[in-house]
Amino acid sequence: MRCDDLEPLIEGIADGSLPMSADDEAHVASCALCSQRIARARSIEGLLAMRDVAQPPAAFAHTVMARVVQERWKAERAIDLGFNLAIAAGILVIVAAGAGLLWSLGMLSVTIDVDAIVQALDTTGTGRLLSQVQTIAMSAVLLTMALVLWWWAEAARE
Amino acid sequence: MRATPEHLLVERCRQGDETAFRELVDQYKGLVFALIARSITNRARAEELAQDVFLKVHKGLPFFRGEAKLSTWMYRIVINVLSQERPELATASLDDRDDEDRPRVQPAADDRAFGDLVMKDRLQKAIEQLPVQYQVLINGHYLKGMRYEDLAEALNMPMGTVKTHLHRAKRRLRHLLETEYR
Repeated sequence: MRCDDLEPLIEGIADGSLPMSADDEAHVASCALCSQRIARARSIEGLLAMRDVAQPPAAFAHTVMARVVQERWKAERAIDLGFNLAIAAGILVIVAAGAGLLWSLGMLSVTIDVDAIVQALDTTGTGRLLSQVQTIAMSAVLLTMALVLWWWAEAARE
Repeated sequence: MRATPEHLLVERCRQGDETAFRELVDQYKGLVFALIARSITNRARAEELAQDVFLKVHKGLPFFRGEAKLSTWMYRIVINVLSQERPELATASLDDRDDEDRPRVQPAADDRAFGDLVMKDRLQKAIEQLPVQYQVLINGHYLKGMRYEDLAEALNMPMGTVKTHLHRAKRRLRHLLETEYR
């Protein structure tokens, strides 16, 4: 019973942070188990204090800085890819909208009849054309924004 | 050479000053590496993880608001990195009662192996079996340069609790050495 009471205090006794009472000392002096536990805890304490301190390699900071540059490059590449995709998407939408406009006017054929376009512009009215024009305008805005962002990112990098 | 005050170094790093970040790495590489190398015996892996810590610091600096000390924040990152490396030990219980149930052998009368090189190896293996928080506590406590306050803040424990947990960690270590690593 006494040994069980002392067991949770062993580490404190071993590192000197918990002073033993006279009763504890008397018990430890007569108990092989507890004195063995304290001896073992003191050995662990000594070994822990004597453990080697591993030193980083000489080029450690240099390697970290190289990895920082590499990570930044990866991030920039991802941003560049995003811009390129946005620009490509913008161009694609403009082309698609243009094709849609021509198709809706019935002019999507191998040869484009300029007269028909002019005539169509005169006759179809703004209602039918407006939706196509809006699409083109929107994609043009998107494209401009992508280009501005790209310019800003490049300027920030410099 | 005197080290730049922490807040100035952080400010320069946040402004994108690479020299300042290099200074920061030089200032903390010893502690960070030693702390990790005491938990991860594979030196190459320990080096890689220590580098990861500094990469996370670099990424996180713009969001570091200085509520905690830079060193405390870095030790927290070390704990996270070690926890990711050994997830099974990251969530291991720190409760003493779990340890009570473990059948233990009583220390033998003749224990001459204790204290020799074999014992050092056994100690290292036993430390690696401890929950990550206990590992950091033991490894950090016996590392010159880390203070109780740093450990308490990094482990999110009150100062008084650090000592209690340190004793528990060492007790668990002793129990491990009495059973698994004999």
